[in-house]
Amino acid sequence: MRYIDYKTVLPRTVAGVLVFLIVILPVFTTNVITLSVFISSGIWAIAAMGFTLILRTGQFSLGQAAFMAIGGYTSAIFTVNIGWSFWPSFLLAGIVPGIIALIIGSIVLRVGGTYFSIITLALSEVVRIIAQQWESVTRGTRGLITSPPNPIVINGFEINFYASTVPYFYLMVLLVAITAVVFWQIGRSRIGGTFYSIAANPILAEHQGIPLMKYRVIAFTVAGVFTGFAGSLYAHSLTVITPYMLGLWQSIQIMIMSIVGGIGSLAGGPIIGSIVLYTFGIYLSRVEIYGIQQLLFGGVVVLVLLFLPKGTGLIDLWDRFWRKVIWREEEYEPDTPDD
Amino acid sequence: MKKRYSIATILVIAGMVFGLGGIASADEPIIIKVGLPTVLSGPAAPWGQIGMEPYLTWIELFNKEGFKVGGTRYNFKLITVDDKNTPEGGAAAAKQLIYGDKVKFLAGHWSWNFPAVSAVANQAKVIFLTRTGNEAVPGGAYDPKKMPYVVFANPSHDQFISDCFALVEAFPNYKRLGILDCAIGKGPGWDYVEVALKKAGVKYTIEWFPFGTQDFTPYITRFKEAGVDVVYVAGWVGESMAFAKQRWEMGYKDMKVGHSGPFVSVGMYNAVCGQDAAQGFIGQYWANWDFKKTTVNPKYVKMCQDVMKIVSDKQGQPFAYTGWIGWLPSHLLILAQAMQKAGTVEDPDAIMQAIRGGTFDSTTGKWTMSGAKTYGSPVVFGCPSALSKIQGDKEVYLSEHPMKPLP
Amino acid sequence: MPPVGIWIDGLIQSCTYMTMAFGMVLVFSILGILNWAHGQFYMLGAFVFYYAVTAAGIPFPVSLLISGVLVGGLGILVEKFIIERVNIPSAQGALYVTVATIALIFFFEGAASMIFGMQDKGLAMVLPGVLDLGSFSVSYQKIAVVIFTLVIMITMYIVLNHTKVGLAIRAAAQEPDAASLHGINVERLSLLVMGIGCALAAMAGSIMAPVFIINPFIGGIPMIMSLLAIVIGGLGSLTGAIVGGLILGFLNSVVAYHLSYFSEVVLFVLVIIILLVRPQGLFGASRK
Repeated sequence: MRYIDYKTVLPRTVAGVLVFLIVILPVFTTNVITLSVFISSGIWAIAAMGFTLILRTGQFSLGQAAFMAIGGYTSAIFTVNIGWSFWPSFLLAGIVPGIIALIIGSIVLRVGGTYFSIITLALSEVVRIIAQQWESVTRGTRGLITSPPNPIVINGFEINFYASTVPYFYLMVLLVAITAVVFWQIGRSRIGGTFYSIAANPILAEHQGIPLMKYRVIAFTVAGVFTGFAGSLYAHSLTVITPYMLGLWQSIQIMIMSIVGGIGSLAGGPIIGSIVLYTFGIYLSRVEIYGIQQLLFGGVVVLVLLFLPKGTGLIDLWDRFWRKVIWREEEYEPDTPDD
Repeated sequence: MKKRYSIATILVIAGMVFGLGGIASADEPIIIKVGLPTVLSGPAAPWGQIGMEPYLTWIELFNKEGFKVGGTRYNFKLITVDDKNTPEGGAAAAKQLIYGDKVKFLAGHWSWNFPAVSAVANQAKVIFLTRTGNEAVPGGAYDPKKMPYVVFANPSHDQFISDCFALVEAFPNYKRLGILDCAIGKGPGWDYVEVALKKAGVKYTIEWFPFGTQDFTPYITRFKEAGVDVVYVAGWVGESMAFAKQRWEMGYKDMKVGHSGPFVSVGMYNAVCGQDAAQGFIGQYWANWDFKKTTVNPKYVKMCQDVMKIVSDKQGQPFAYTGWIGWLPSHLLILAQAMQKAGTVEDPDAIMQAIRGGTFDSTTGKWTMSGAKTYGSPVVFGCPSALSKIQGDKEVYLSEHPMKPLP
Repeated sequence: MPPVGIWIDGLIQSCTYMTMAFGMVLVFSILGILNWAHGQFYMLGAFVFYYAVTAAGIPFPVSLLISGVLVGGLGILVEKFIIERVNIPSAQGALYVTVATIALIFFFEGAASMIFGMQDKGLAMVLPGVLDLGSFSVSYQKIAVVIFTLVIMITMYIVLNHTKVGLAIRAAAQEPDAASLHGINVERLSLLVMGIGCALAAMAGSIMAPVFIINPFIGGIPMIMSLLAIVIGGLGSLTGAIVGGLILGFLNSVVAYHLSYFSEVVLFVLVIIILLVRPQGLFGASRK
């Protein structure tokens, strides 16, 4: 007989209920603000998950927003300039960044560590410059005006993306769910374990016969594909994409969301991080004290890094909440930050 | 949670005001909420901030009288949300205003992310008064049929053209006009400007600089080699001040410099460029009491002067920024007059009907919404392009070119 | 060939990048981290300098030192209370420092906007005037930048090569473990180095304040430029920082003179090519 540990089951059930509540959110409210906050958080969550996956191999990319831009531009170019419908363009918006990530990754990932971060930073500037200069296709700094996805008709029932935000919300939930499941499975699989060993000790891993490059490129490419999808949804939900929309600051935002959410988990952390930080940012935009928005945003991120156990971020609060507040466990912590 | 509370509080207060207005007396004006997504954080924030105080003061003055539609008195109330100067922030701010604060009108918006805001506004059938950007000019992607609720109350590229004409009129003996802009602003708008300048026979040279440039020595040298003696900087204030300072230091003291914005405060230019280098610096001038070629309703002139005085008293120092006059006040006047013409404050389609092709008396003169030819949009307003220059510690009127809708 | 004025301009532009990059490299070589908020120390230095000169009426060379000392002290506090705590000895330590210092960018910019206001400020009255050299002229402010950079470089050279502290810094940069075995307190040394790095940034900000405008957001561009400079020159190489600064300065003047806004394309392509061909930069020792 399998022993069921209520201490494992209960937190999971509560988490499941929370997720379920978010999924059936449109039943309670069709308020556009609430839904769009979740839509945008979802977009950033996917990008942050991609960042976390690359981080698993020990590299951190400062150019993830560039892959969003590539994805966004791909679907925008194919829908606006060539006249495709949204859905095939959306697929391409994943494939094209994936291929670009594969090519760039296999050249650039030879260079590890800080150099890799800076190369990705420079690459995202190059993407921005291409989008700006290639006017015949990208229309330069004016950007491309996109439209929401085409309606889908199933048995006479029409899902219309123009009339309401709810279908877009479910499209987002679906994509976040798929990404989360894929990344979670990667994390559990042998590949995920290999990622860990590469990050922990690249030299040892190489001597054990693990091809470093192969796994790094796999992580970079998978992240590129999903980030591209996120970028496409971003462009089509804002209905515009310009070269300056997705630059260094957006890459930094992705990184901060991932770290603050917690990089211990491939799916949960980035999702929590992006929802919390994005909602916080929206709340701050109503505060009418000039400058306090940035002050609080920066301050909160620093505090999270200082006072949450190293490298676990907000998602660890969840664990701690159950262990400390609910079960009241006494536990020896070898490395507390408060001492 | 706090946000919910604050929204709830606003709604409750608004409800009380509405309720009281309905029950207590017919004298109490009904409040119409107008949303303003603007930049309040980040590097462009000074531009959003500086207008806030005069806007609120002007609305206060305007509300004393209010405006009447069908015998009922109405007042405006401004609600501001930070748009972070990004399309994402603009869309989020517009959504908060439209779905959270339930505003029916957006006005006074000037940043470049209007495509994102107008998409949100159009979906909600909210009338949105803004400036034209690169999107709206021929060759841009703006489609008036898809976005019937966008009103261009400030045609920015026409303004560039008129600024250039006003410069040429102010300095008839100019050798060559130099135009400098950040590469971000590159687009069909400038093609359009170039066509108009060529047609008018203006000799000019255009240069672009990459985003973040601080040292303009290479560009000044390029201009000098092309024989430019009047430079019009379409970038940001910091860039144009740096340009003016550097051309002075390089010894090109006869090169005149102007920029596509009103003066924030003359003291700032003197402090940044140095007293000598700032002399003669040219900027846009929206002080309607000094207009020479455009007639403005004396009532509005007095109101604007009163606002300047009140804000000066409040801040304890002379307030000289005139840029606000052309934005929100003229947008609100267009709205109020259109509502009066349409006889409704509710129906956006009827109000848009009144706006299209209508003539409106605004703080920058009496203008007619242009025909279908302009910008591919049926609703572009005009305004004069007046320039001023720095003389000592003050700015004085330089020249003016009334803007005519260009075909 | 571009006129002489353009070359001189390139030299002057290089000076800021060199001073900034020098501080960053110094911090990197001891602490092994990149301080992404380096540009914000530049900005804070400019503000301290501004208020010292205008409000307190202190002569500007003294104000320069005051701004260096105050902001250097702030840098030490940041190192002591934030970076040291966040920088855990694992593969992720560098990442947390990156995120923490990037968050500090927002924090400092917000704080400066609240305290000093966002309006542009100027200091053109410090060292006004122009040195006329015939075909071109250079302002005294820019000459001051060059002299300041030379003084800083010479001072740093003497400190690093002819003092005990300099010896300790060089030792700790090469082998931190061996250095601490020889009685060097690496932790205290890191505080000192962080202080020096931030003071250099603050003084660069101060000396540039009369040349350009002052507002809470001026730190971003010098930061990115000096980051690219040390990447070109090689992370951890002081010579590299100087050479990288020179390359960037001339890129932004001489190349911009020929190609106008395409100079930024040249810049990023150059960075990528250098990193791919020689990942450790032009002067960097290869690190694993």
